[in-house]
Amino acid sequence: MTALLEVSGLRTSFRLEEGGEFNAVDGVSFSIEAGRTLGIVGESGCGKSVTSLSIMGLLPKGQGRISAGSVRFQGTDLATLSQEEMRAMRGDRMAMIFQEPMTSLNPAFTIGDQMIEGIRVHRRSSAPEAREHAIEMLRRVRIPSPERRIDEYPHKLSGGMRQRVMIAMALSCEPQLLIADEPTTALDVTIQAQVLDLMRTLREETGTAIILITHDLGVVAELADEVVVMYSGLIVERAPVARLFAHPQHPYTIGLLGSIPSMHQEQERLHAIDGQVPTPMTRVQGCRFAPRCPFVVDKCRAQAPPLIELGHDQQAACWRAPLEVTLGFAAEVFA
Amino acid sequence: MTALLRAENLVKHFPIRQHMFGRQTAVVHAVDGVSFELDAGETMALVGESGCGKSTVGRLVLRLLDPTAGKVWFNGEDLTGLSPRELRPKRRELQMIFQDPYSSLNPRMTVEQTLVEPLALHGLARGREHERAAELMDLVGLAPQYLQRYPHEFSGGQRQRIGIARALAVEPRLIVCDEPVSALDVSIQAQIINLLQDLQRRLGLAFVFIAHDLAVVKHISSHVAVMYLGHVVEHADKRSLFASPRHPYTQALLSAIPIPQPGAKRERMLLQGDVPNPIDPPSGCRFRTRCPYARERCAQEVPALRSSDGHSVACHFWEEIAPPAGIAVQAPGNDRLVRLQAAFRASGVPAASELENELVNG
Repeated sequence: MTALLEVSGLRTSFRLEEGGEFNAVDGVSFSIEAGRTLGIVGESGCGKSVTSLSIMGLLPKGQGRISAGSVRFQGTDLATLSQEEMRAMRGDRMAMIFQEPMTSLNPAFTIGDQMIEGIRVHRRSSAPEAREHAIEMLRRVRIPSPERRIDEYPHKLSGGMRQRVMIAMALSCEPQLLIADEPTTALDVTIQAQVLDLMRTLREETGTAIILITHDLGVVAELADEVVVMYSGLIVERAPVARLFAHPQHPYTIGLLGSIPSMHQEQERLHAIDGQVPTPMTRVQGCRFAPRCPFVVDKCRAQAPPLIELGHDQQAACWRAPLEVTLGFAAEVFA
Repeated sequence: MTALLRAENLVKHFPIRQHMFGRQTAVVHAVDGVSFELDAGETMALVGESGCGKSTVGRLVLRLLDPTAGKVWFNGEDLTGLSPRELRPKRRELQMIFQDPYSSLNPRMTVEQTLVEPLALHGLARGREHERAAELMDLVGLAPQYLQRYPHEFSGGQRQRIGIARALAVEPRLIVCDEPVSALDVSIQAQIINLLQDLQRRLGLAFVFIAHDLAVVKHISSHVAVMYLGHVVEHADKRSLFASPRHPYTQALLSAIPIPQPGAKRERMLLQGDVPNPIDPPSGCRFRTRCPYARERCAQEVPALRSSDGHSVACHFWEEIAPPAGIAVQAPGNDRLVRLQAAFRASGVPAASELENELVNG
């Protein structure tokens, strides 16, 4: 089966003011099949959002560009499309929702205006038909009394409602791919639970493939089928969700899981990862996680590790994987 | 023994006016009758969703806001009755750490100036300000040679360390931490949480810890007060609250947290709708509009905070509400993971030399 979306060797570069370029995404490959949910996890500056903007063709003009690799959607290389064709694709076959629903909705237009515009452009339907469809979409995302709400302005809605409107808008043309960039980060926990529940239901109803970009491992565990972990512009680990949480192989993933306080265990201290999250501009030689890694050996500082196949559909970019074998779990290793 | 801090029936209403000098048209009921006590060396967490009044309570405690009614006792003294002049020496003992390490530091001041300013204000460490600033840097795990740098040269986590050093400069006894880690990356959050706990142990600090992240709260606090629309709906020591939450809102909050454990089976208690407007809160129990157990009495009568075995809850019917099963998911033992994670040396205060190469522009 061919993948719905195939990203291979993607490199996205940004111009620096002082001249030169840096690679925010530095050679990333993954694919997603229809109906599946792929989680992309990482901390700020790891390149997860730039990856999604590159896929959607939404990189800021004149600043960012795809400098290597390709993005194929249903077999078509998106780089070969004209702006016109790309625009027709966006919102129709692939759609995106963002973290902050207030800034992604236009405050000067009603929700209905914004939804209907998109539906008419992509569906070529009449205004009344489009309105009918918009109301139906609002109903599907559980907006109470959608016939009334459709004529309201975004500021009248709460944060959770706005995110529902964004989802309704994104799904109104039944896209095959939905990219959700931190869709619940700005929301309160009880509202987050509602939105996650909604995304789960809609995924079952529509069969839309989802790329879920988040820093929250809890959200990934709830929604994703496969997970990609990014660090400093690279994929450091990839695995099916259950495997990743039960049997992480990259030291960064292991450290990240240990950094979250547990809800069901008493811990004296958290297993924090020392050092700082690297900025996109700081690129170290060899493995980029080496300066913060407790398992580091000379080879790690000299040579960047490729993604290594580890079985169980799992890959990790670590010279020392599988860790329990290289470490032998001897007591002195942990002394 | 009297508590270090005692809040008594704190109320804060913000008036809403049509124009700047216009008639008052409505009132935001931000905080409505909040009481608690906190001993030295302990951490009390205030949790709740946005708009529940938790930050307002933090500001009332420090008298950064004047309460509409109620009192704040610190070390046996009523802070609410003090004049600004009388209050100034007290400020030394009560400090605050803010959420955003980017906007809470003055970008035009070097780290040293930031740390020395509170010393000068309170007339502390006269003549040895520089030594004191270096000491503070060391205390929070930053190399003293970076005293002459400006905030933009540091990462978010390092800036939060500077914010903590500034709060510690005047040797406070109580620190109000307002979402101190929510703006930080996950791996950095853990560093700052460890640092706060180390400092508490070493210096005997009391924390009022304001947060929305229940996992963090469970880790750091000794007591927890859950707030909803200006009311405390449940208040208990940490163990009791997380093991057997009594208020339906607390139960819903706990069941809503996404747990980093795929396929974890648990009963979801999904709340409907949004938090009502605090300008016009519901009558009776403020949670009733979203409560799956609401009955007639809930609309008529405000439930009082009732205590049994040190666990207080403001719900008419909590005895009849069984806590939903599966709130506490048991993680399968994962020896391999535990051992690997242990290798990440759980250090809160890394040696200064290790940070040397990690400054953003360093």
